Amino acid sequence: MPHPPRRPSPPLLRRALQALLGLLALPFALAQEPAAAPPTAGHGSYTILHVAKSRRQTSDHSKFQVLKGPFKDSDGPAVTRACLTCHMKAAEQVMATSHWTWNIAKDGKDGFGKSTLLVNNYCISIIGGNTESCARCHAGYGFKDKSFDFTKPENVDCLVCHDTTGDYEKEKAGWPNPGVSLAEVAQKVGAPTLKNCGVCHFFGGGGDATKHGDLDDTILKAPRAEDVHMSRQGAGMDCIDCHASDAHKVGGPNYVVPADRREQAKFAGESVSRMSCAACHSDSPHKSYILNRHYQKVACQTCHIPTYARGTLPTNTFWDWASAGRLKNGRGYKEEDANGYEKYNSIHGEMIWARNVRPSYVWYNGTLKFTRLTDRITVPTDGRVILNPAEGSYTDPNAKIWPFKFHEATQPFDPILQRFVAPYTAGPKGSGAYWGDWDWDIAIQKGMATAGLPYSGQHSFVKTTMLWPVTHMVAPKEQALACTECHKRNGLLAQVPGFYLLGRDHGTGVDLLGFGVILLTILGVGIHGFIRFSHGRH
Amino acid sequence: MRRVVLYEGFERFWHWAQALLILTMMLTGFEVRGLGLHLFGFQRAVALHNILAVTLLVLIVFAIFWHITTGEWRQYIPTRKFLREMIAFYVTGIFKGAPHPVRKHRMAKLNPLQRLAYFGFKVLIIPVQVTSGALYYYYPNLQHALGWPPASLWVIAVVHVLGAFGLVAFLIGHVYLTTTGHTPLTNIKAMLTGWEELEDDAYFDET
Ligand code: HEM
Repeated sequence: MPHPPRRPSPPLLRRALQALLGLLALPFALAQEPAAAPPTAGHGSYTILHVAKSRRQTSDHSKFQVLKGPFKDSDGPAVTRACLTCHMKAAEQVMATSHWTWNIAKDGKDGFGKSTLLVNNYCISIIGGNTESCARCHAGYGFKDKSFDFTKPENVDCLVCHDTTGDYEKEKAGWPNPGVSLAEVAQKVGAPTLKNCGVCHFFGGGGDATKHGDLDDTILKAPRAEDVHMSRQGAGMDCIDCHASDAHKVGGPNYVVPADRREQAKFAGESVSRMSCAACHSDSPHKSYILNRHYQKVACQTCHIPTYARGTLPTNTFWDWASAGRLKNGRGYKEEDANGYEKYNSIHGEMIWARNVRPSYVWYNGTLKFTRLTDRITVPTDGRVILNPAEGSYTDPNAKIWPFKFHEATQPFDPILQRFVAPYTAGPKGSGAYWGDWDWDIAIQKGMATAGLPYSGQHSFVKTTMLWPVTHMVAPKEQALACTECHKRNGLLAQVPGFYLLGRDHGTGVDLLGFGVILLTILGVGIHGFIRFSHGRH
Repeated sequence: MRRVVLYEGFERFWHWAQALLILTMMLTGFEVRGLGLHLFGFQRAVALHNILAVTLLVLIVFAIFWHITTGEWRQYIPTRKFLREMIAFYVTGIFKGAPHPVRKHRMAKLNPLQRLAYFGFKVLIIPVQVTSGALYYYYPNLQHALGWPPASLWVIAVVHVLGAFGLVAFLIGHVYLTTTGHTPLTNIKAMLTGWEELEDDAYFDET
């Protein structure tokens, strides 16, 4: 029986076939995961920042007669007067900023900042009589209570930000330590470095690493893995390289963020504040389109800061004011845990410290809703008040999933007036301060009187949580979160609501239905085949 | 009996390429879904799934072109003729060694049940899968541009996943039914080589 002639394939078709075959192999070639690259040194010293830095200084301050002094011990204002002979507008500029006012008044009255009615769950508040000791970090001289004159230019502290010697130190009310040679410091002023900002910002909450968890002075000597930007082995950047300033107004306060985070600068210098990663890195820095698209809903920090407190110092995660005041022989005492971290201190109560902490993740559009001492609080049924809940949700186009340090605490509360209270804590014996006399009622009474706020005379302790956005301590890219840290059943975003997430969500019963269908098919085919073959027919 | 080329070169290429693509897409799809497969790793699985999707689309475009230009698309027009007989054959006849109720022709190589199944496959399952997949991929853009409600991705995903399960079930049934030929491997051999022995047929006497 002759075979019918086979229709010859036209050469065009054959060529198309070959092309398609090639196309078929392409995906496998393209999908090769790049071999884990050896850790690189990042941009290192190649950044434009370093070029700019070496050119910043245009004069040698040691040549100026007016800075030779002599200055009396602690006479900061005299130095400031000398600075102002040339930098006539500097004090005026500083006085318009939050470093001076400690109050970013949005509405003209009580805004955000240390000297406002805001309440936190570390040291609670400065306005209950604690100003003098807290003002060690005020960019001025003599801020000890409400009577401080915020209009006096000579009270501006130029040196704390511009000292380059590292010898400058501040004491109570912000006065210079009398041991500091002011003339020497004044002759060597320069642009602020990590250290200048760090003397206050590394020590928030009263101690190194205590408050933020992503900022502490280990960054000064950190390996690149701790902070790719600020490590001297990394990009070697200073705070002001991102927190750029305009007329002494330093960019990037967290209390007031740009309304729309999407509209942020796309390249350095486009706006005064380089407070977005995209300002330098663009909004599509990955090779993968899919990774770049995460930008829409996921903050860079979420993946690139896998844990915070990655230095050698632990950050405070729990502060139990309720257990403060235990005494031994009438005196306060401290206890350390196995790691050498302070687990109890009579002046603070029990504390928990941790290193390498996984952040908590929440939707955040740049606004944290802060609590004030004057707010009436309804304690939720779980007994835990969130002092500054983050605003935002999946449907908010400005919101992204952000990493936060959740700081837990218990703190004094007025159960009758349903308000948080500001106790007077830092003061000597006999002053009524809690750390002197160990009596909450008196301390709160004093504090509230100083603050000019009512107090019912009764106090209780309430559990509180505060959210601290994590944004420093960016890790080398090799350490960024892997896809499956979130794209899996009980991954890091297990609790983040409002959207369907591949790998996390399965849709109720969908898999069950699917496997049911498959099982039935297999069963049907099995039975059919069994009968067929047992009947001796194929 | 005569040996004929039942499946042309392109058709065979298309068939096996599509099979390979869908199989890999199943594996990668179910891996990213988190159903316990760990073959490629999540990131590679996603990349592969998406690149394969584009490849599949290109293949589909070629296949449509081929079906139209060769007129082979007519082979998939569903018909009710002999449908009942076909069902009866699979339900009882096949066990008793009854003869196949319809003969394969070069120009009618699919029986009424196959026509129905492949027609459904081509106009329902594949389009649903492709469309839901494309919506899935472009969801971030669409959601942003059109202000879709948050639940829409869930809906897309559920459709896509049900389609995927459907494809698995289809594959199982399909592979099983290939074994119902003259010998269990006859049909698969035909799809591999193109050649199959058919009973003498008027169509081919003309060529
Ligand atoms: C042109 C066709 C297709 C397109 C465009 C497509 C696209 C997608 C996309 C964009 C995703 C989300 C994950 C990712 O980005 O890779 C996805 C997930 C998935 N795909 Fe496909 N796909 C297609 C075909 C298929 C086929 C043929 C199957 C299986 C037979 C399949 C099974 C799955 C499964 C199981 C998931 C996981 C869904 C979930 O858990 O939410 N897809 N697909």
